[in-house]
Amino acid sequence: MAETYDFLFKFLVIGSAGTGKSCLLHQFIENKFKQDSNHTIGVEFGSRVVNVGGKTVKLQIWDTAGQERFRSVTRSYYRGAAGALLVYDITSRETYNSLAAWLTDARTLASPNIVVILCGNKKDLDPEREVTFLEASRFAQENELMFLETSALTGENVEEAFLKCARTILNKIDSGELDPERMGSGIQYGDASLRQLRQPRSAQAVAPQPCGC
Amino acid sequence: MEYEDKAGRPSRPPSPKQNVRKNLGFEPLSTTALILEDRPANLPAKPADEAQKHRQQYEEMVVQAKKRELKEAQRRKKQQEERCRVEESIGNAVLTWNNEILPNWDTMWCSRKVRDLWWQGIPPSVRGRVWSLAIGNELNITHELFDICLARAKERWRSFSTAGAEVENEDAGFSAADREASLELIKLDISRTFPNLCIFQQGGPYHDMLHSILGAYTCYRPDVGYVQGMSFIAAVLILNLDTADAFIAFSNLLNKPCQMAFFRVDHGLMLTYFAAFEVFFEENLPKLFAHFKKNNLTPDIYLIDWIFTLYSKSLPLDLACRIWDVFCRDGEEFLFRTALGILKLFEDILTRMDFIHIAQFLTRLPEDLPADEVFVAITTVQMQSRNKKWAQVLAALQRDSREQEKGSPSLRH
Repeated sequence: MAETYDFLFKFLVIGSAGTGKSCLLHQFIENKFKQDSNHTIGVEFGSRVVNVGGKTVKLQIWDTAGQERFRSVTRSYYRGAAGALLVYDITSRETYNSLAAWLTDARTLASPNIVVILCGNKKDLDPEREVTFLEASRFAQENELMFLETSALTGENVEEAFLKCARTILNKIDSGELDPERMGSGIQYGDASLRQLRQPRSAQAVAPQPCGC
Repeated sequence: MEYEDKAGRPSRPPSPKQNVRKNLGFEPLSTTALILEDRPANLPAKPADEAQKHRQQYEEMVVQAKKRELKEAQRRKKQQEERCRVEESIGNAVLTWNNEILPNWDTMWCSRKVRDLWWQGIPPSVRGRVWSLAIGNELNITHELFDICLARAKERWRSFSTAGAEVENEDAGFSAADREASLELIKLDISRTFPNLCIFQQGGPYHDMLHSILGAYTCYRPDVGYVQGMSFIAAVLILNLDTADAFIAFSNLLNKPCQMAFFRVDHGLMLTYFAAFEVFFEENLPKLFAHFKKNNLTPDIYLIDWIFTLYSKSLPLDLACRIWDVFCRDGEEFLFRTALGILKLFEDILTRMDFIHIAQFLTRLPEDLPADEVFVAITTVQMQSRNKKWAQVLAALQRDSREQEKGSPSLRH
């Protein structure tokens, strides 16, 4: 686990059941589409170190269950999230209609400053579309969200969604709008910024040590 | 890291290359492949000492090859014997269950002998019957009741698919939209239940059964409805029982206190279960417990999936069925004991991981968990804390949380 990074961001993936949250995560981590996908019970995880604007950022991603009923459980995972992918399915108006509720949860439970990107997933199923690009982008504008249509199947815009969200958080840190030191910001300084501090200790580790066995 | 590679990769059919290698491995090795030949006639013959040396080397090679062959033959014989032994013991167990235990269920089921046999795993051919008996039918559900619930569910599906959301208002408090959503969700989740088995999906042999049980249950218990995770439980039951009996087992299983708490998503009560679990976690694995605490790794992160699906999603199906065997007999306590067994089995790896790696590891366990090792680990778990058993610890915590609620209403959100 010799990872070094400048920042660690906690990310959420939220939205109604069957919108492809886990598939988006899988595509982002493994670069391929997850056939034979199960539904998530509770929460699943992914992590990846990305390079954004010259900084290395480790994304710690919490992929939550989508069923309405689980909300009381998944809500407890929101605390201290820095970013979120809010996912709906462009072929299901119902999943689009519940966006407002998901967004309220994210802003009240995670942080009012949480950076949210709206993802209209299943872009590849355009013939079955029930929600237009225009309508969703208007919703995004009204609610101050970034917006992309994605396809976990083809991979289109998947990487972009995660990176865009990370970039925005970094910009906010640079501009002073977000303070990583604040409790519950969802941001931690990574190993890289501690590297100099750690060097003496790792040099020590090279020295022969008495064997414990 | 090996465990990371194994975890979460869908098992793919072996590539053609691997197949070839495998086949070769099973072909009899033969010494005839080794032939000592002189140089071709058009070349000068070998000097005598060189020829002698080669002959000697050749003979050594033959001896080695023969040794290998012998060893291989012995290995195969042993494997064969082992397989026979396992088959024989399963055969014997089936006989014992069918001829001795099942006919005398009420007197025998809690005997020492049966308990031992039970722990080793119930043979698949009698598993369904034993589960049914062990789960019981406290709710007195009959096959007729199942038929009625199913007929009602079917009526609902029809009216939704034809007329839309216009349905009589018999279940007060549940809007038509909610119900429609849950019917839609059942359809969606069935396609995502054991997808790699390819038997529950649309067109698969067990698709309609799974649909029937989940649909009938939402009519039988509209207050609970369909909750994600149920499809896995129903699917495992269908693999072992006929539809109506699977429904009876399903409804009774979900009616148990722990399952009711979870499937009603009673968050407060779930937290009490997690707290009880942590008492035994600390007792059994203090070092790992401290490590989890330090990393803010709360038990809900991994327990929710394990408890909701009774391990059928997270463990290999054979192993999950063995967990179910004992769970049907010992109740909820065994679910938490199993969780501790898994943690114990991987204690060393887990203590070296940070938050995200632990979370990823536990929500996606290695695919090839050996059942015997898991059960050995479970055996070593002590379900006693300061002379208190699981049920006592849980009851005490429940009392505490009730008193807390009463005592400080202002603190409740």
